[in-house]
Amino acid sequence: MIRLAFRNLFQNKARLVISVGGVSLALLLILALDAIFTGVERQNTAYIDNSGADIFVAQKDVRNMHMAFSSLPISVVDDVKAVDGVEEVTPILYLSNMIVVGEERTLAYVIGLPEDASMGAPWKMDSGKAIPESGEAIIDRRVAQKAGVEIGDTVEILAREFTVMGFSDETTNIVNSIAFISASDFGEQRGAGVVSYLLVRTQPNVEVEAVASRIEDEVDGVTALPRESFSSQEARVVKDMSTDVIAIMNSIGFLIGSAVMALTVYTAVLSRRREFGVLKALGARNGHLYRVVLAQALMSVLLGFVVGLAFTLLIAAIVPRLGLSMTLEVSRASLVKVGIVSLVITALSAVLPIRQIAGLDPALVFRGK
Amino acid sequence: MSLARRNLFQDKTRLALSIGGVALAVMLILIMTGFLAGMNRQITSYLDHSDGSIIVAQKGISNLLGATSLLPPRVESDVEAVRGVSDAIPILSQFIILDLHGKKQPVYLIGYDTAQGGGPWKIAQGRAPQTDEEIILDRILAERHDLAINDEIEIMGSNFTIVGLSDDTTSWMTSYLFMRRSAVESLLRAEGAVSFLLVEPAQGQERSDVVNRLNELDGVNVLTKDEMKANDIKLFARVFSAPLRLMIAIAFLVGIMVVGLVIYTATIERQREYGVLKAIGASNRVLYRVVAAQALFASLAGSAVGILFAYGAADLIMFLRPQFLIVFDYVDMAWALAAGLGMALAAALFPARVIARLAPAEVFRK
Repeated sequence: MIRLAFRNLFQNKARLVISVGGVSLALLLILALDAIFTGVERQNTAYIDNSGADIFVAQKDVRNMHMAFSSLPISVVDDVKAVDGVEEVTPILYLSNMIVVGEERTLAYVIGLPEDASMGAPWKMDSGKAIPESGEAIIDRRVAQKAGVEIGDTVEILAREFTVMGFSDETTNIVNSIAFISASDFGEQRGAGVVSYLLVRTQPNVEVEAVASRIEDEVDGVTALPRESFSSQEARVVKDMSTDVIAIMNSIGFLIGSAVMALTVYTAVLSRRREFGVLKALGARNGHLYRVVLAQALMSVLLGFVVGLAFTLLIAAIVPRLGLSMTLEVSRASLVKVGIVSLVITALSAVLPIRQIAGLDPALVFRGK
Repeated sequence: MSLARRNLFQDKTRLALSIGGVALAVMLILIMTGFLAGMNRQITSYLDHSDGSIIVAQKGISNLLGATSLLPPRVESDVEAVRGVSDAIPILSQFIILDLHGKKQPVYLIGYDTAQGGGPWKIAQGRAPQTDEEIILDRILAERHDLAINDEIEIMGSNFTIVGLSDDTTSWMTSYLFMRRSAVESLLRAEGAVSFLLVEPAQGQERSDVVNRLNELDGVNVLTKDEMKANDIKLFARVFSAPLRLMIAIAFLVGIMVVGLVIYTATIERQREYGVLKAIGASNRVLYRVVAAQALFASLAGSAVGILFAYGAADLIMFLRPQFLIVFDYVDMAWALAAGLGMALAAALFPARVIARLAPAEVFRK
């Protein structure tokens, strides 16, 4: 049976290419979109994941950085330091703003770092220094390249000029990049007396969750989250915003995949109608023939899956080289989903041909029909 | 041509599947472009409806959405003193994230002076906030989260009462949230802060002259509303255009393959007939035309059905998820038909090779 399905499938190369191509494109539609959003999620949490902090403290009810705003009175720094289990606190200032180089403007998260910052600084440097002093800025390497900025050049951030003293890596995403300036410069531009977030390092051998809830209990008006939960809150912004879009696109991809597969399996069976008739006349039961059709559909869908995945990985490899600040990442959840979708497509596409075979009259083939 | 028609209609199921496949591909293209057009309309809705035709932003800032703008202190009176300025309305705005029913909901918070303007342009229900504890929420966002007038909501550690619901203030990514400016000042711990000034030139004043005069002030970037709208659209387009183009390209390829497959199998099946035609003197070109006519018909019918599908799907999506706006115009339709045409031409290449290679004598040997 499998051999028959195999031969049916490979006998006509053009049809095989079209059916595998069609279904792989439809699956690519689902895979690529998932990969884009997973990539965005990952980029979005890069700062948090690499901050080196165990706990993030923000204004009460603020559990995000991206598209969010947090403002804490500076007195909170000492309050948090006094909490049992806290080893070290680095207050940072944060605002979404523009890096301006000549006519080139790029959106950036501007982070104001204290000069003795032990957390929250750029985690991977391309060149130059990592912690800016007054009048200095550290910007992303890719942004600098695009704008033609060299170390020592001047850029405008928060409406004042800074000398670029370092290029950081991994600090850009599809929407924006991260730029670092000193907390004192940030405060001058934005008013002193407030900080945005506190990055907290706990003492060794204490339970991070317990320290976080102690901070919330003992300090007024703050929300304290362990790094992992803060990071997953951040990932959820993208997830929650994109759920509906992904659902819509996935359904369209699914419909297209089903239509293409239904069409190819249908035409393949149709052109083999005589052979199926002969098999039937020789005594093959319908059940056997159904299995041939299903096996054939399954094989082309699986091939399509592999090709679609290969294309997605190829696109994922090419996109960063094009200078687009987008990364595609294929997640396991997405693979499972697409796998299930493939199986459903296989089952659906076999329905029409199966009905066709069931209605096939063995005697007809001898009459030349 | 009647040969083409007969070839195509001979198997109704195959024809229906092929038209369906093309229709889905065309629908996808249309939904994607309609989605982008709708998004652009939603992105600019505040600037479309708010007062003033000139925006004063912080130096370096040229978008409403995207970056946080904070104007230098006392700039408001400086702007009002500039010749040709009739009115300057201050707003304080900031993206924030609400956690509603365990869902992250980014909203664009706008603090405005109820007496001066800059607030919601269409209040569907309720009234403007009169105290710092009152807010106006987007109606669709409120409905999605079962919130109604007089309900309480906690934002960044403070409690607020919903006193009004606004219309035309939603998009799939964010909605607008309005408060008094003083309320936003204390929420953001930014006393006296102003993000933007919405400026209206005095009557008889040339807008560009006023913009130039305002740009001489320190620490500001002054641009017309239209420029700022274009900048916002550009900012979002940069994010969405690459994935969007990828999707459209895939949809286009799928369309080609579907039509190609159908025409190819129809041609293979009729190989003998084509051979006979060749044997009795029909030139390759005549046969190509027959094949191309079939491809053209399947593609155009598919495109037409795809346009209908797109309308239906858009209505369904907007009904189920009112935060989405999908709009089509005639240009998009034309593009969809052109895409169908392109699919047909590319698809006709598949069987053309079969026909060209067909030896007339072959048919008599089979």
